[in-house]
Amino acid sequence: MSAASLTSGDEIARRFLARLRPGPGGWIATGLTVVLVAVAAGASALLLLLTGGSPSASAAAIWTGSLADATGWTTTLLNAAPLLLVAVGACICASAGTFNIGQEGQVLIGGLAGAWVGLRLALPGPMLVVMVLIAAAVGGGAWAALSALMLRLRGVNVPVSTLLMTFLAIQLVTFAVSTPWLQESAQGSSGIADAASNPLPANARLAGFGQYPSVQLNVGLFIALVAAVGVALVLSRSRWGFRVRMLGLNPLTAKHTGVRVAALGGFTLALSGAFAGLAGGLLLVSPVGTNRLQAGLSDNFGWDGLLVALVARNRPLVAIPVSLVFAVLRAGGDFLSATGVPYYLVDVVKALLVLAFVAPPVLIDLFSRRRGATPQAAPDMSVVPTKVKAAA
Amino acid sequence: MTPTTSAARILELRGITKSYGSVTACDAVDLTVDAGEIHGLLGENGAGKSSLMKVLLGLIRRDAGTVLVRGEQVALDSPQEAAELGIGMVHQHFSLISGLTVWENVALGDTGAVNKQAVCAEIAEVAARYGLPVDPEARVDALAAGERQRVEVVKCLRRNPQILILDEPTSVLTQAESQELFAVLGRVVQEEGRAVILISHKLAEIVQATDRVTVLRKGSVAFRAVTAETTAPELARQMVGRDVSLHDEAAALGMLPVRKTRTAERGAHDRQPPVLRLAGLTVEKGGVKVLEGVDLTVGAGEICALYGVEGSGQAVLGEVLAGLLAPTAGTVEVAGRRVDMSRPGALGKAGLGIVPEDRHQSGVVLDMSVTENLTMKSLDRLSGRFLLRRRAMHSEARRLADEFNIVAPSLDAPVRSLSGGNQQRVVLARELSGHTSVLVAAQPTHGLDVGAIEDMYARLRQAAADGVGVLLISTELEEVMALATWIAVISSGRITGALPVSDATPERLGMLVGGEAA
Repeated sequence: MSAASLTSGDEIARRFLARLRPGPGGWIATGLTVVLVAVAAGASALLLLLTGGSPSASAAAIWTGSLADATGWTTTLLNAAPLLLVAVGACICASAGTFNIGQEGQVLIGGLAGAWVGLRLALPGPMLVVMVLIAAAVGGGAWAALSALMLRLRGVNVPVSTLLMTFLAIQLVTFAVSTPWLQESAQGSSGIADAASNPLPANARLAGFGQYPSVQLNVGLFIALVAAVGVALVLSRSRWGFRVRMLGLNPLTAKHTGVRVAALGGFTLALSGAFAGLAGGLLLVSPVGTNRLQAGLSDNFGWDGLLVALVARNRPLVAIPVSLVFAVLRAGGDFLSATGVPYYLVDVVKALLVLAFVAPPVLIDLFSRRRGATPQAAPDMSVVPTKVKAAA
Repeated sequence: MTPTTSAARILELRGITKSYGSVTACDAVDLTVDAGEIHGLLGENGAGKSSLMKVLLGLIRRDAGTVLVRGEQVALDSPQEAAELGIGMVHQHFSLISGLTVWENVALGDTGAVNKQAVCAEIAEVAARYGLPVDPEARVDALAAGERQRVEVVKCLRRNPQILILDEPTSVLTQAESQELFAVLGRVVQEEGRAVILISHKLAEIVQATDRVTVLRKGSVAFRAVTAETTAPELARQMVGRDVSLHDEAAALGMLPVRKTRTAERGAHDRQPPVLRLAGLTVEKGGVKVLEGVDLTVGAGEICALYGVEGSGQAVLGEVLAGLLAPTAGTVEVAGRRVDMSRPGALGKAGLGIVPEDRHQSGVVLDMSVTENLTMKSLDRLSGRFLLRRRAMHSEARRLADEFNIVAPSLDAPVRSLSGGNQQRVVLARELSGHTSVLVAAQPTHGLDVGAIEDMYARLRQAAADGVGVLLISTELEEVMALATWIAVISSGRITGALPVSDATPERLGMLVGGEAA
C-alpha cells in the first residue's frame, strides 16, 4: 500500500496528533477540564506540603513574581513572547501532520546563528538586531530542515530525529562558545574558557518601550502576537493553509488533489523550526537572558513552547492565553525558587497542568468507547486495544 | 427443514433494544435460531444487523430485552461470556494480522502456553472435517482474499462454536469461492447440529443458502419466513420497504440482471473515440510486477468495466489512476493527451475524476467540512491565488449538494458526520465537477445500501449519457454486467480478455478471472 510509504515513519506521531485536534468539545469537556485542573492544583499543594513547603506562601510567591507589580508582569510578558513563538511554529507543523519535538535544539541553533551575526557583522544601528533575528529564524529553520531531509532521503522518523538533533545542538553551541568564532577573549586568566559567548553589542539588543526602568517591554511580544494571529489566519483562510490542513488530516487525499506531500510536509517542518529559531534569537536580544550565547540559552523554552501548543491543541490563537499562563509559571517559579522552594517542583506543577488540559478529550473518548456508545465505532473490535494504547 | 420444537431452539432474542443517543439501532427485535439451520439476517446498511450481532457477541450492552441460549437466560455482558456460551463470529472485515502466519493468527486470543504443534494439528483436523484446506505455516499477507476468509472460518470453528455468525462473508469472494463457503456451512449445520446466522444484503445468497430468513428494516423486524416459501422479489420488497423493479436494482441486491439495457446493446457495436487510454501500464512493487502491461481504452460516453477478484491488480490500478502511485512503465492518456504521471494532481487537471476504492483513505478528508471536501480540487477556479474565497466555495458546494442530493446536517459539518452513501456522493460530485472527461469508479458500491447503490448506478449512467467515459473497476459480477458495455477482465495484474457485454456470460468471465482465455 502506498499509504504505508506516505505515512510510514510518522504513523504513531500522526495518530498521536489526531488526539490533539479540537475534539469532542462542549460542556463535558469543559467541566472535566475544570475538575482536572482543580485536581492538579490540589496535587501540587499536597506535594508542596509533603516537601515541607507552604502552598499558600508558594502561591503568593508565584503571584509576586509574575503579576503583582510592574517588574513582575514585565518578566511574565518577556517570557511569554518566546514561548508563544515556539508554540505557533509547533502549531504549523502539527497541522500538517508532522510532530516536531526538537524545538529546544532549534531555539539554540537560532541563538547560535543570531549570536554569530550579532558579534561578527558590524551593521549600523537597529539594522543589526533585525539581522540577528532573521539569522536566528533561518538558522532554526535550516536545523529543522535537516530532519525533513532525513525523512525524505532515508525515512527517518521525524519525532526521533528532531529530538536527537536537540542534543547535537547543545554540543554544537557548547563547542561554538568556546572557540574564537564567538569569543575573542577565549582564554580567561585561569586559562579555562567561559562557557558563554561575548555579550552582544548594544545595538544588537532590543530596546524597551519608553523610559521606565522597571518596565522593559519590547517589540518581541508584538512579533509573537502578530505571528500567532497571522498563522491562525493563514491556516484557516489561505489556499496554502488549506493544503496544509488537508495534508495533516489525510495525506492520501491531499496527494490525490495535487498536494506535493513530501515538499509541503518538509517545508512546514522547516517553518516550525524557523519560529523556534526566532524565539532563540529573541532570547538573545531581549532582557530575558543575558545577551550572551550559552548552552543554557534555551532554558527549556523549546520544551515549554511545545507544551503550550499541546495544551492549545495546535490552535495558534488559543496558544496566546496559554503561553501567558506558562509565562506566569516561569516568572513566578523563578521568584519561588528564590524563596527556597526547589525549582523542579514548579516543573512538576507545570506537568500536572498540562496533563489536566490534555487529558479530557482522551478520557471522554475512552469512556464512550467503553460504553460502546459511538455508533461509528469500528466494527472490527480488534483495533480497539491499539487505539487505547495510543491514547494512553 | 425447519425444526421448531423448543428442544432444538438454540438461541432466542426477545425484545432487544439498543439506542445510540437519539438513534434507535434495534427496536424490540425478536429472533429465534434453531440448531441445524442457517438463518439469514437480511437488511440494508444501517438496518440494525450489526448492532444486533454486537449485542449477541457481548461487544455492546443492550438497553432492554432478554437473551436465551438453549433456553437459559444469559447476561451477555462481555465477549468472553459470549465465547463461553459458544457464540462465534466471522467479521466482515478481516481481523487477521497480516505479518503473522496462519497458525499464529488462529492461536491469537488463546490463553496459556502456545503450543504450535497442537494448534497446527487442530487446524489440520478442522480443515479435514469441513473441507477447508489451509496451510498453517503460510503468512497471511501471502494469501488471497478467499484463503483469508477460509482462515477466518477455521479460526472461528476451532473454538467449536454452537452458534456461528457470518457478517457479509462473500463481499470479497468470487462466485466459486462463495459456493464453497456455503457448502461448508451446510455441512456444519446439518451434520453437527450447530446454528449459523448469515448476515447479508445480497438476496441471491440468502435465497440460496438459508433455511429461514429474518428481514430487518430501520431497526425492527419487518418480515420473517421460511426461505423456501418466499421469493426474492418479496424479500427485496420487505428489505427496502417498497416495490423494487427487478432490473436495475437486481444488481444492487446481488442478482444477475434479467435483461440487458438498450445502451448496452448500442455500445457493443460501435465503440466511441477514446477519452482514456492506458498503454503498457506496469507497476513493480518490491520486485514483483503487480500490474503488467495493462492496455485499456475507454470511449466517450461509454461504461467500460474492469472485472476481477480482490488481489488481481484492480486496487493497484486504482491507486495509479488516483495519482497515489507512479507507474514503473507505460503511459496514461486522458482526452487524447499524455499525462505526466510524476506531477501531483496532473490526472485531475487533465480531466480524470476518480471515486476511489477506499473513500476514507483517499476520497475524502473526514474531518474537513462538506464544503471543503466538495471544492478541494477546484480551488483554481473558486479561489484567488493566495486566499480562499469562502463565498464562492460555499455556493459551489450548495450547487453540487443540490445536484447530487447530498444529505448533510449542514455544509459546514464534517464529512465524518455523513452516511456512507452521502460520503460517496460527495466524492462523486467533486470528481464530476469541472471539466471531467473520464470518471474512474473503483468498487463504487462497496458498503452502500440498496438505495445508495441504485443512486450510484443512475449517476454513473447519467455521467456516461453526458459524454463522460466511465471506467468501472469492480469485483461484483452482477454490477459489471448490469452497467458496462465492454468488460475487460484482469487477473494477476494482466488483462486476460475484453469482450462486449452481449458476449459475456458468468462462465466466460469466470474463466478469464481464472487466467484462462475464453
